[in-house]
Amino acid sequence: MLKIIIPTIMLIPLTWMSKPNMIWINTTTYGLLISLISLFYLNQPSDNTLNSSLMFFSDSLSAPLLALTTWLLPLMLMASQHHLSKEPLTRKKLYISMLILLQLFLIMTFTASELIFFYILFEATLIPTLIIITRWGNQTERLNAGLYFLFYTLMGSLPLLVALLYIHNFMGSLNFLMIQYWIQPLPNSWSNIFLWLACMMAFMVKMPLYGLHLWLPKAHVEAPIAGSMVLAAVLLKLGGYGMMRITTLLNPLTNFMAYPFMMLSLWGMIMTSSICLRQTDLKSLIAYSSVSHMALVIVAVLIQTPWSYMGATALMIAHGLTSSMLFCLANSNYERIHSRTMILARGLQTLLPLMAAWWLLASLTNLALPPTINLIGELFVVMSSFSWSNITIILMGINIIITALYSLYMLITTQRGKYSHHIKNIKPSFTRENALMTLHLLPLLLLSLNPKIILGPIY
Amino acid sequence: MAAGLLGLGARRLLAVAATRGLPVAHVRWESSSSRAVIAPSAVAGKRTPEPTVRWQEDPDPEDENLYEKNPDSHGYDKDPVVDLWNMRVVFFFGFSIVLVFGSTFVAYLPDYRCMGCPREWNGMQEWARREAERLVKYREANGLPIMESNCFDPSKIQLPEDED
Repeated sequence: MLKIIIPTIMLIPLTWMSKPNMIWINTTTYGLLISLISLFYLNQPSDNTLNSSLMFFSDSLSAPLLALTTWLLPLMLMASQHHLSKEPLTRKKLYISMLILLQLFLIMTFTASELIFFYILFEATLIPTLIIITRWGNQTERLNAGLYFLFYTLMGSLPLLVALLYIHNFMGSLNFLMIQYWIQPLPNSWSNIFLWLACMMAFMVKMPLYGLHLWLPKAHVEAPIAGSMVLAAVLLKLGGYGMMRITTLLNPLTNFMAYPFMMLSLWGMIMTSSICLRQTDLKSLIAYSSVSHMALVIVAVLIQTPWSYMGATALMIAHGLTSSMLFCLANSNYERIHSRTMILARGLQTLLPLMAAWWLLASLTNLALPPTINLIGELFVVMSSFSWSNITIILMGINIIITALYSLYMLITTQRGKYSHHIKNIKPSFTRENALMTLHLLPLLLLSLNPKIILGPIY
Repeated sequence: MAAGLLGLGARRLLAVAATRGLPVAHVRWESSSSRAVIAPSAVAGKRTPEPTVRWQEDPDPEDENLYEKNPDSHGYDKDPVVDLWNMRVVFFFGFSIVLVFGSTFVAYLPDYRCMGCPREWNGMQEWARREAERLVKYREANGLPIMESNCFDPSKIQLPEDED
């Protein structure tokens, strides 16, 4: 694991000591090379884990998430180059350092084997994200957004700390690989119910669960593009990853405790999808769509069947790439018209046809078109939830329909129809933007050819 | 769409009317064949010019158009050399190295599940299928039966002596 961590740490001196006109080139180059190294961890020879050291391990679940995280850093750098071009040099370097620091914490979080270590890094990822949102966001609401983001997550995760310390006291160790073999069934008692809640609420807030999702639209909308990308693509998956790890300790109480959260997720996915249909703000639409997709992951993790775990893992990777791509597309609009309102830049297909092609592909993957991995994830989750309870198919079906509706609504509003009269001021697409979209899309399409690497440890 | 139904001249008139107001007549003219009369407008002066409003969609004057100074801009930087090299670096390392070598690496990963214990973890599925197809092809070509009903070679089995 050091072969990823040390180069990532060294990216920080690279940004501070590079020549001013080379910072972006150097960091993007080495970021891409680090992502190449992280692909080695996809070689998972068995059901078991690849143990790099006492502190780090990689699993079929964490390896794809690790690859996603390291792939996203160069993409974030490319996306931020334009809006930071006017800033003084030190501030640019500070921004890049925040992104690199966040990347470092995320890499370590996904590969941590000790649960307290995981917790510390889980909390540590909040700091660079908060700084990115509140310092480089564009509207005054970013302060409120940062507050919501920070305190929602902290409120959820403080009980997790207490619960982890209790489990450590009780079991003797919190090394995830060892406690898998020491687990005893958790009987149904009040204190165990609180233990379950304490363990799970941090990840529920992070996912986010429907009732606790208020921080997400604020944070996603107010964050600059790199902040939105990393939030949507990776930080939400921290919640899913954490849930999948911690539920191994909490059986069989999960069968009893999961009901309220299942109800909230099933209802919430329809609610948030419906809200998407009424959004005027493009980034807000994409943010609510993230809540809807993550609700599917919550349902899958709480059902705890093999197929649902496969679906959850596939959906996390697929949604990471799709959501990040949609935010990049929204940002390409924002950089031209300085507004997030969808109807202000409409009919773009006539002006920017290549960008319209990326919009089309992103919307199609968002609505889970076969044969993309989005479909594989959603299908597995829908099927396993149907076997859990037949009625869920109605709710899931409604959600899939509404997802298709709002994805097409977003596509048609921004791309189709008659353009507005000020469209002549919109600059043509840059190579940078087209490359960014392709770098998001190609892994997504390539994974459709070989989805077994993202189907998780149960495959 | 309605504008499309009108003729070219009518559209030009509409365009002019939208920007400059309807054309103004300077003298009075009466038609001899009909009762049409064109007269200077009773309302003196043209339509008051619109106050210049800055719309949100108008380009921000502080916005820098990278295409002005460098029409071949790739969108990375003002400096054309840095811009070009940034583009090359992204394409080379992003596509040619990571996507190509990465996909090759992932495509040639060994048969994913546990190779040591094929039966428990459903491992070596793809190998098993390929091997079966190869053996079938070989046996059909050589006229051998595809499968023998004996799992083990009967001559190698040593049964214990029959006891009376």
